[in-house]
Amino acid sequence: MKILSLSAFLLSLKLSLVGVVFSLHISKKAEREINKVFEIDNANFVQTLDQDIPGIDKDRLYTIFDQGNALGFAYVGEASSQTDTFEYLVVFDTNFAVKKAKVLVYREDYGSEIGSKRWLKQFLDKTPNDRFAYRQNIAAISGATISVKSMTNAMNNLMISLASWQNNGKPNKS
Amino acid sequence: MKKLILSAILISTVGFSQNMNFQNSAMRQLSNLENSENRITLGGYGEINFNGYDGKPNEIDVQRLVLLFAYKFDDRTQFVTEVEYEHVKEVYVEQAFVNYNITDNLNARAGLMLVPMGIINEYHEGPTYNGVERPSLDGKVIPTTWREIGFGIAGRSNELSFRYQLYAMNGFVSFNEDYVLRGSDGFRKGRQKGAESVNSDMNFAAKIEYYGLPNIRFGLAAYSGKTQTTDLEDAATQVGLTMLDADYRYAKGRFSSRGQWVKTSLRDVAAYNAAGNKDLGSAMGGYYIEGAYNLLPLTNRQRLDIFVRYEDFDTHKKTDGGMMANPAYHRKETTVGFSYHLAPGVVFKGDYQSKKTAASDDVVGQLNFGVGFFF
Repeated sequence: MKILSLSAFLLSLKLSLVGVVFSLHISKKAEREINKVFEIDNANFVQTLDQDIPGIDKDRLYTIFDQGNALGFAYVGEASSQTDTFEYLVVFDTNFAVKKAKVLVYREDYGSEIGSKRWLKQFLDKTPNDRFAYRQNIAAISGATISVKSMTNAMNNLMISLASWQNNGKPNKS
Repeated sequence: MKKLILSAILISTVGFSQNMNFQNSAMRQLSNLENSENRITLGGYGEINFNGYDGKPNEIDVQRLVLLFAYKFDDRTQFVTEVEYEHVKEVYVEQAFVNYNITDNLNARAGLMLVPMGIINEYHEGPTYNGVERPSLDGKVIPTTWREIGFGIAGRSNELSFRYQLYAMNGFVSFNEDYVLRGSDGFRKGRQKGAESVNSDMNFAAKIEYYGLPNIRFGLAAYSGKTQTTDLEDAATQVGLTMLDADYRYAKGRFSSRGQWVKTSLRDVAAYNAAGNKDLGSAMGGYYIEGAYNLLPLTNRQRLDIFVRYEDFDTHKKTDGGMMANPAYHRKETTVGFSYHLAPGVVFKGDYQSKKTAASDDVVGQLNFGVGFFF
């Protein structure tokens, strides 16, 4: 009896911990966005990585499932704006081509222009083989330079990390 | 078994909520302190300039040093202030407002705020513009740094790629025991800066900016109202005004460009001028246009922009009451120079300005150097 209740307690603890991890990184807002991208009602998420890889924490990358089928991946990142940080979501298909990039939470006025759908469209269909450079293949937004550079760098680093992970098939120690 | 799990979940939930309740004020204080590094923001910007003149002594000045503080009460509520030292010894509060985030697209704001008019009034940190001195148009027609106390809404739409601001604000003072506005720089002397300001009439300011096209950003601003007076009985101590602005900023590859057009229409100017023996114009306005090219490869961390800017504006575009327009108030200025961005946020600038007016063909030259920073 004691053992049973203890294990039940541990189980519930584990469940609630998993719940916390989900609410931290796959927020309701992110979930809605992912459902919209794949035109489904109830995506499920499973952590893709069992350990951190260079540039990607394991609790930021999720495999998206719908009724047992893997549809793609979701990455929830954080980057700096002028005086704060913002959170963004990148949704990939199963080949890691970008299906959607979205700013989930932006906490200040300065630089909030990077939430623009039109601007974020520049990342669509890009894959880990693509590289992004501010004012070269990524357009500037006057008045939002810091956040635009920050998002561009974040997307670039994400692609580099994904590419090295794909190429090595394992964490890169260097 | 199922029952057991349920009860275990209940127990663990109760345990969790107890933890919350048992947190005393000291513990809360501690957890606040843990978060405090994210709550307080410090920043600043400033300019230290050298102005070399023809035929008069040069000037070296810490033109402005601004310290920015922001405090975040929670994810929705923030206080922002900028304390400015001008010429080392004059202290001003440049901004001091509370921003309350209602939804993703809507904020309510109140306090001392920048008037959204033109480019420079809102984006005036040294590394964000070319030229040691701000464009003269943003001094004589838009009296930067123009800020007043007011309240309103601001926000953006990610779907439509636009940003908006709409404020009810206090306005320029035209009569404060004496007549203060004049023809050479319009409303500049009427700025109250939120310091024991006179308020007799509400003014309105609005700006929308569109950034849905790649590389370019457009702004449209409008300001309308009446000046403030200490003599509520005398209508001749006030003038009405409507200011309109259209501006753009473009940046692609190594090339960048910006331009601005402003027009101010004034009302009841003839009576004001007659009563105060002043020479205020009844319409002011003009434009500037600027192009810049970065000489360094885009992959470099540093940037060396060379630029040229042409300005043409007139604070006596129209006059009223039979007053002759003063041609000396119609200025044409060309500025050629460089902005060497040593690191993002630090710039060393140099330029040469040739200034002339419609009054004569004489060209007055001015050589400027400055350092600017923004963090």
